[in-house]
Amino acid sequence: MRFLRLLIIGLPLLLIGLLAASFFSVRVSPPKEENMMVTASIGEPKMLNPIQAADASASEVMNYVFDGLLTLDENLEVTGRLAESWMLTQTTTAFYVNEKAAADALGRIEASRELWSGWKLLRAEVTGAELRLFFSEPGADIGKDVLALAPDSPPEKIFHTRVNLKSSARESWVHFLEQSRMKDRVKRIWYDYNSAFELTYIDPDGEFGQELKNYYSANRDLEPELAEQDAAEYLDEPELVFKLRRDVQWHDGAPFTSKDVLFTYNKIMDETIVSPRKPDYDLVQTIETPTPYDVRVIYRKPYSPALNSWMIGLLPQHILGDKDSQWWAANFNRSPVGTGSFKFKLWSTNERIELTRNPDYFRGAPHLGGITFRVIPDPTSIRIAFETHQSDSWGVEPHAVGKFAHDPRFDVFSSPGSMYSYIGWNLRRPMFQDLRVRQALAHAVDVQAIIKYVLYGYGQPSTGMWDPRMWWNDDTIKPLAYDPEKAKALLAAAGWKPGPDGILQKDGKPFEFTLITNNANDVRRDIATLTQAALSKIGIRVDVQVYEWAVFLAQFIDKGEFDACVLGWTTGVDYDQYQIWHSSQTGPSQLNFVAYKNPEVDRMLVEIRSEFDHQKIKELAGKLQRTIFADQPYLFLFVPETTSVIWKNSYRVYRPETGGWVDEPIRQTRAGYSFYSEYFYKPAYAPAMTH
Amino acid sequence: MLTFIIRRALIAVVLLFVISLMQFFIITLTPGSPYPWGDLNPKISVQVRENYRKQFHLDEPLHRQYAFIMRDLFTGKLVSAKDGRPVLAKIGERLPATLLLNLTSLLIVYAFGIPWGIFASRYQGRWPDGLGTFFAFVLISMPGFWVAYLAAIWIVKYTGAPILGIETFGVAFRSTGQYFLDRVWHLMLPAIVLALAEVAVLSRYARATMIETLGEDYIRTARAKGLKSDAVLYKHAFRNSMRPIVTGLGYLLPAMLGGSVIIESIFSYPGMGLLSYQSILERDYPLLVTINFVAAFLVLIGTLLADILYAVVDPRVRLE
Repeated sequence: MRFLRLLIIGLPLLLIGLLAASFFSVRVSPPKEENMMVTASIGEPKMLNPIQAADASASEVMNYVFDGLLTLDENLEVTGRLAESWMLTQTTTAFYVNEKAAADALGRIEASRELWSGWKLLRAEVTGAELRLFFSEPGADIGKDVLALAPDSPPEKIFHTRVNLKSSARESWVHFLEQSRMKDRVKRIWYDYNSAFELTYIDPDGEFGQELKNYYSANRDLEPELAEQDAAEYLDEPELVFKLRRDVQWHDGAPFTSKDVLFTYNKIMDETIVSPRKPDYDLVQTIETPTPYDVRVIYRKPYSPALNSWMIGLLPQHILGDKDSQWWAANFNRSPVGTGSFKFKLWSTNERIELTRNPDYFRGAPHLGGITFRVIPDPTSIRIAFETHQSDSWGVEPHAVGKFAHDPRFDVFSSPGSMYSYIGWNLRRPMFQDLRVRQALAHAVDVQAIIKYVLYGYGQPSTGMWDPRMWWNDDTIKPLAYDPEKAKALLAAAGWKPGPDGILQKDGKPFEFTLITNNANDVRRDIATLTQAALSKIGIRVDVQVYEWAVFLAQFIDKGEFDACVLGWTTGVDYDQYQIWHSSQTGPSQLNFVAYKNPEVDRMLVEIRSEFDHQKIKELAGKLQRTIFADQPYLFLFVPETTSVIWKNSYRVYRPETGGWVDEPIRQTRAGYSFYSEYFYKPAYAPAMTH
Repeated sequence: MLTFIIRRALIAVVLLFVISLMQFFIITLTPGSPYPWGDLNPKISVQVRENYRKQFHLDEPLHRQYAFIMRDLFTGKLVSAKDGRPVLAKIGERLPATLLLNLTSLLIVYAFGIPWGIFASRYQGRWPDGLGTFFAFVLISMPGFWVAYLAAIWIVKYTGAPILGIETFGVAFRSTGQYFLDRVWHLMLPAIVLALAEVAVLSRYARATMIETLGEDYIRTARAKGLKSDAVLYKHAFRNSMRPIVTGLGYLLPAMLGGSVIIESIFSYPGMGLLSYQSILERDYPLLVTINFVAAFLVLIGTLLADILYAVVDPRVRLE
């Protein structure tokens, strides 16, 4: 009984005592002074493997651990990293009926040598009945003018066919091809592993095409996709040549060579390792590594954004070469080895990831001892961590920017975020098919007010689908002004007149629609509500519905069964937006879910993919942007501003630059204030500036 | 007793099968499916998605998917759809932290709830009891996240003590004692917030059973034969009134493994709550199925344990 009483009174006292003791203990424990950079984020990386991860938290960490052949500089232009230099050339091949015809054509071309440099033609040669032209610059159509010089010996037409293999029917296909008497007509075969192949062949009399058709119909496992629609006069095969740096080593000391580049490519294409990056490399025909420091990538057709794909972090063959995907998941993806400025140290799940400096980094050792990425799953707690200086920087939400912008303890850096918000009008709905209606809707919604109330003023009106910081963005486009009277006039011109109840109507039907968006996104919900209010003022009835993300996608967006939706796009690092705007991409689960169709835009979307000239890309991209903006398939709303605050005087930068090292305060660049974070240093731990 | 346990175990196996089937269908029939790279991504083609679905058997009919998941679960080969790591490793990483937090919280609940109940029953109907009741209802009414935010903000603002994580970040501890106390501090905060409402609930429960027991004839007899009031309270009344509370412990077993999303987020405590929550958001079928399966298993063990405990505490109960 005494024991029981002791327990009943003693246990609570003991707990209180323990709490008090621990409280005083943590208050006196000194903060550790360390040469560390600490950041905090809500999300945790899924894995640290550049070819498998695609989340923002992972790329933040991987930027320090891995390097790509190429990277972006502070003005967001492509520059070399593991590649010392790179060069783009192109081989164009035309196929002739016989050797004589090819030689004739070559003779004509040889005769006009004075024009070669204008065409960027380096040399021309004939092997068999094939005429090859070597160009110093790639592009889809540069061979056209050259070949037009020999009009009386025209090359054969070539055909491309993509065939999907339903199951592994590759062997029987190879066998069929082997025994075909017309196998010489096949000029290129490219296997997309066991799921598809593409065939390039000549077929003057159509017999081979017939034989192929017979074979397809006899083999149900084959599904031809583009049978004979894609005829051309010649074959363009761009080539990308990288010269690699010779002074790079992996974190474990092994040298980095071209084998690692080839290995990374092979693993991206490997079906047992599901890589979301695979589509970026679909156009690669072969990769050759003639020496440890040379890489040649041959493409199947010109596709200029392909250059960006070589920014991917490369993987070490000597570690991963003989391991399977399960070993990757359990080991490498949780403790990666790269070539980057910081080495991986530890990953404590849902707590933190620590990196430590790589003293042998080829661009020069970083100055910080390490970087810690803390995972703090709650926005308020992140703020607490920042304000108590447990993390050095913080991505402020718009509502709090005002408070921090004027606080002398902090530096504030803002830049346009790489995304834009929009309202997509489903153009399958008759009411949105009239351009005047879409213009009227844009005039009726006060975008500035949305920016003011939803983003607290931290955003700019969006004028198209490009990132406003990118060099191909056309910044002369003016957003449509808020003008309800003009909106009413436009609607009246389109036949929408106010009815007895004040709601606009046409042919007896009221103007009403449902505006949907996904839940767990307050900004989108607020946009929907403000739009509803704005449109009710001009007599349009809007019903706002909010759905859980998976339901939102599966039941509405994927099926194209909605009236209008509030969504946002992340703006990528390239100008290829075929999937979002091309008229062929309007099917179920495809991304042109508003069903926008404009033949001119279709043409430009295809053209820009094979354009390599900066000036022409800029012109085309601007024209695309102006055309789409004029068509208003979306009501382009805003590009939000992303703002970071960091403790004042936390860091300076001492970084390598061509021609010496530069010491400077941190500053906002186009690529953000943290662009040079690899070379941040703390003033208390200033490096010896001897370079 | 033994036949009872065997019979219950056999029933449990059947139940487990039914539960696993039901939870599998509830999870997979919910809209959405696992896919780690974002649904609207122009850079990722349909082929990638299909290849991914093939890897996780998502292209198979549901009954086959169920068979695959169960086979892999029992051979220990089941991997998360999010990052390909074994699910058991992922759970094992979080479980100790959650277990420790819940046990601490339970200790606080019992350490404070029971004395509070006894205290209230002793002053039944008088002002200390009234005050206790008032505070109990205040604690029960306060939402946990609100208390947690206030506690977090106040502690940081007025004391500057660190609150995030399981230990103070970036500190070189001078001694193991200091490190121990640091861990205790980071454990106590979320545990107290978790326990607050429970303390009040248990105090009401303990008070009610105590008052009921104190009205029994044998208590009156004990008092009549001249025992000291403390002896009556602790020896006779307390022991008998605690019987339902002790047997209730068995039912708490599954709750020990569940975490609280909100408390774990605010104190950034790496536990099961966030793991389950994220796996629901990500539709990580393999992980979700495993967590649910383990939870179901523990509920069954817990009820069995409760029945056995009941027999142990109360000799009048026979298990046949």
